[in-house]
Amino acid sequence: MEIVPQLILNSIIAGAIYALIALGFNFIYGATKFFNLAHGVMAAISGYAVFYFAKTLGSNIYFAVIFGVALAGIVGYGLDKFIYLPLRKRKVSNMVLLVASLGAMTALQAVIAILFTSRFKTLSQNIGTQKLFEVLGGVITQTQLITILITVLILAGLVLLLYKTQFGKAVRAISDDEEVARIVGINTNKIIGRVFFIGSALAGLAGILIGFDTGIEPTMGLGLLLKGVIASIIGGVGNIYGGVLGAFLLGFVENFGIWKISGEWKDAIAFTLLIVFLIFRPRGIMNK
Amino acid sequence: MDKLTKWVIGIIGVIAVVVIGYFLSESTSKVSAEQIKIGVVAPMTGNLAFLGEGIRDAMLLAKQDLGSTQYAYELIFEDDQLDPKMTASAVNKLIGVNKVAAIVSFGSGPGNVVAPIAEQNKVVHFGIASDPNVAKGEFNFIHWTPPSEENKVFVEKLQSRGIKKLGVFESNQQGAAAAIADLKEKLKETDIEIVTNQVFNPGEKDFRSIISKAKNSGAEIYLLLAFSPELEVLAKQIKEAGINTPLTSIESFELSEQVDLFEGEWYVTAASPTGDFTSKFEVKTDKNPTLGAANAYDIFNLVVTAAEGFRGSTKPKPSQIANELTTIKDFNGVLGNLSVNEDGIVISKAVIRMIKDGKPVDIDN
Repeated sequence: MEIVPQLILNSIIAGAIYALIALGFNFIYGATKFFNLAHGVMAAISGYAVFYFAKTLGSNIYFAVIFGVALAGIVGYGLDKFIYLPLRKRKVSNMVLLVASLGAMTALQAVIAILFTSRFKTLSQNIGTQKLFEVLGGVITQTQLITILITVLILAGLVLLLYKTQFGKAVRAISDDEEVARIVGINTNKIIGRVFFIGSALAGLAGILIGFDTGIEPTMGLGLLLKGVIASIIGGVGNIYGGVLGAFLLGFVENFGIWKISGEWKDAIAFTLLIVFLIFRPRGIMNK
Repeated sequence: MDKLTKWVIGIIGVIAVVVIGYFLSESTSKVSAEQIKIGVVAPMTGNLAFLGEGIRDAMLLAKQDLGSTQYAYELIFEDDQLDPKMTASAVNKLIGVNKVAAIVSFGSGPGNVVAPIAEQNKVVHFGIASDPNVAKGEFNFIHWTPPSEENKVFVEKLQSRGIKKLGVFESNQQGAAAAIADLKEKLKETDIEIVTNQVFNPGEKDFRSIISKAKNSGAEIYLLLAFSPELEVLAKQIKEAGINTPLTSIESFELSEQVDLFEGEWYVTAASPTGDFTSKFEVKTDKNPTLGAANAYDIFNLVVTAAEGFRGSTKPKPSQIANELTTIKDFNGVLGNLSVNEDGIVISKAVIRMIKDGKPVDIDN
């Protein structure tokens, strides 16, 4: 039982990362109603931006992080402006949008690999330089603690944005019915563009935190996206709270699932959880 | 531009690509009557590119060192990123387009992909791999220190250090599985026990929970069997978990470019090359020989020796090169006196090394 506090901490750390991805994914899905597969690659874009500015050029780390997050947002906005919006105007099906996002993901991954090679890179300094904290009998690093705090702050910020601002009202209106929102005078394309910026920036932030915790590689987005999608589905697709709940549930199930069995079963456990939800509760826990 | 013009331009474009592709493939597939082509499939890009580059440089060095020969030898390199899916397409290209007589592969996963294709197409295949299955068949060979040799040395070292409890972190890959299966057999004859054996999938980056499971196992040393970057992430997370237990490996530390992560740790690896080879390699590349580089150098020379040893009026066929290879005994390679045994395996001895000042150095056996 000595292992339990550490497993709880590990679950919270994993849940926080998944939550950041799921928050952005759900935010975009809520407004557009399609699975944006290019969402995960935003994590790689911001991670490599920080790597380039902070480690290659030696710029200030805070500047690099802000630039990285903004770049992910701009790329997400650009994808909507130049790919998804023209397709939406042609009233294509969600399947076409999904395939377009798959193409965007593959192309962006390839560009990153060409620019930076496909080698794994880490944003953190050498090992042993991270501060370690003892929490409830477990050990947690400074980066992991920051990740958890940022996730909580981002969730609070997103809730305020959605429920206390005109922009949030517009997003919720589009989420309920885009056609009606347009009729009542909301510039839906403009709002969706901003949603893409914010959602992609959140994925970018997750990528930077992962870069500091473990490392970055051009293909990191797909694995992250899958975990974000699983979290969203089990929590309730399009529901902000559901995504976060699903992310932490996934983190706990994955980490406690391999307590008594081999670690190679981790992904099998995650996808079994997804299948169970798809069969018995396809609309997720929050059941929006 | 009207629709018809667009169609015409499109069709001309497609035809141009097909024609250029045809002539390019024709030019590369023409084999000189006196030329023997050797294809090499290794990671030239990706996290393990430094190993593929080492193999490439060693083979080019071997070709450069070659004296006068009856036949000309051409090396063709293909990148597989050590990903068996990419290995299959690379090897099919080498056989189908380049018409190679022999193929060299790196790693047990890719080796297991190449072996049946080489056997089916009757092309000589030399794997730099630990899994003995890679050498199955008439055309397949291995030049690598087998797990049994490495484990023998590893177990002796554990015993000499008085270690009784071993923890294992193992990537779910063929080479690692073959090594651990053999190690478990060897440990049965000793009082050393594996107190925790944590297996994870390639590509995994979050090892925190399996580290937590291993932490209280009482292991006196942890054996890490993984490729880069999982190896470095695992080592980093072990330290971050507050574990100061020594780390060791069988080969893995030399699969990393960040060997300083393992400063002061001992490990077992494949045989050390001669000083002469090491010097020549360093002059050519400005680097120490990477894992498998010396094997690649020897493989090139073994294939050349087999081809040159064939007595016939025409250039030897791959089957004749394979036959000649099986007769090679006491070949003076950079990894010692080499012989091809009845299983098609060229056995070399294992050595113990330590990371000292960021570099691998040989220590006592």
